[in-house]
Amino acid sequence: MKKLFILPLLLIVLCKNANAQISYGEELPKSVRINMGTQGIGAEFAFGVLPAVSLRAGADFIPVSANNVFSVSGFNSDSRASASFSNVHLLADFVPFKGAPGFRLVGGAGYFVNAKGKITIQPKDNYTYGDIQLNKDQVGNLNMDVNWKGVAPYLGFGLLKAFPNRAFNVNLDLGSYFLKHPDAAITATGLLAGNESQSAQLQRNLSGYRFLPVVQLNFNFKI
Amino acid sequence: MNYLKKALFLLLLCPLACKKPTEDLKIVVDNNIIKYTALIHVTDALNPSAALKNGTLTITGDNAGDLYEISGKKQFNIVNGVITIGPGPNAMPKDTSETYDVQVNVPGYNSLSKKITFTNGQMQQVVNVALTKVGNNSTGTQPGKPLPVNDQVTLNFTGTCAKRSDLVIRLSMYVFYRESDSGAAFQYLGYMDKGVITTTALETGKKYDFQVTYDGKAYNTSQLLAGTNESLSIAMGSEICNNF
Repeated sequence: MKKLFILPLLLIVLCKNANAQISYGEELPKSVRINMGTQGIGAEFAFGVLPAVSLRAGADFIPVSANNVFSVSGFNSDSRASASFSNVHLLADFVPFKGAPGFRLVGGAGYFVNAKGKITIQPKDNYTYGDIQLNKDQVGNLNMDVNWKGVAPYLGFGLLKAFPNRAFNVNLDLGSYFLKHPDAAITATGLLAGNESQSAQLQRNLSGYRFLPVVQLNFNFKI
Repeated sequence: MNYLKKALFLLLLCPLACKKPTEDLKIVVDNNIIKYTALIHVTDALNPSAALKNGTLTITGDNAGDLYEISGKKQFNIVNGVITIGPGPNAMPKDTSETYDVQVNVPGYNSLSKKITFTNGQMQQVVNVALTKVGNNSTGTQPGKPLPVNDQVTLNFTGTCAKRSDLVIRLSMYVFYRESDSGAAFQYLGYMDKGVITTTALETGKKYDFQVTYDGKAYNTSQLLAGTNESLSIAMGSEICNNF
């Protein structure tokens, strides 16, 4: 949790630094942004700290869910997959080539306050075992839960100018967060309770799922 | 441009590095749908180790409809002198006990009627039935052979399906055993709960045959017990696998 407080603290320090520079007569750009992309929607405050370097702090969240994306052979079931990601982040934009201000390298980190994936599988209707008809509760259900909550470094690049020349512009971010190793667990009830023993296998299968790609459009409003 | 390539590589890395989330995961299903069970072990009254012909069980009385074979079916076939029965999920004993009238029929033997009572809290029971041959009412029943006592061994059984490699069954059944190549009759070992049975009847370093019965069929597996915690699998055929 400490890291959660470090980010805004850092932001305040940097803002003060930016204001200090402005007070010396060297006005550096500032903007607020609305983001839309693979991370969901969010907002950022961005400000220049050097002619080729700017910082931005913001937050994004995405709740998505889908039904019946998984099927289990021979098991007449409904499935529901859902994912919920929300983060606060602090990123730095660096323009490496003076002649190409529309190309930026972007690095930083985010703290994923919430980074969960869940798949629930449950029987679609009554189930027959021999001559016995079982209801949904007797059969039970199966949940796979994955959690990436924590700090994640970010690396990527940006296309188009970081700040609008006039009041508004649009730019693009392409990159990826590198998430922490996920915690994965299977919980199950009824006749499916034995699947809990496979949590370790699920954890192994998901150990490589650490990249959260970002393809994001930023709508910038100069302030 | 180099940065661009690296960034693209990053984006591509995930699908290259990631395993399918469900890889090597199997569907594990418990077969303990019938929670209260009674193992009916039928033997020849004069020669308990003799192999009996297959027989049937007849359930009578008002509550006969509540009883099932462990497969959930209404067919009560005795195989190798063994059948497991119990009340269905909607007829489990709650506050009181429930008694059922059962008749054991094996060709060549006098049929025998038994009352089997299922009592709340007593999930398993073994009912030994000694039958006399037709025309010979001598009941010289020999006491069952006591189980030997050795160090404790835990067996973890997994039921597998030949045609459903994605399915694993956690078996809750009564287990019989004998030492491999001994030629001896199978002897009752105990009840495995969700695939696990702990016993002192077995000796490490020896090979044993294990047998369970389900839906009128016997399923066997053999294993040399190298340690005190062994994993075994039993190919369960199509009956139980088709049930899920």
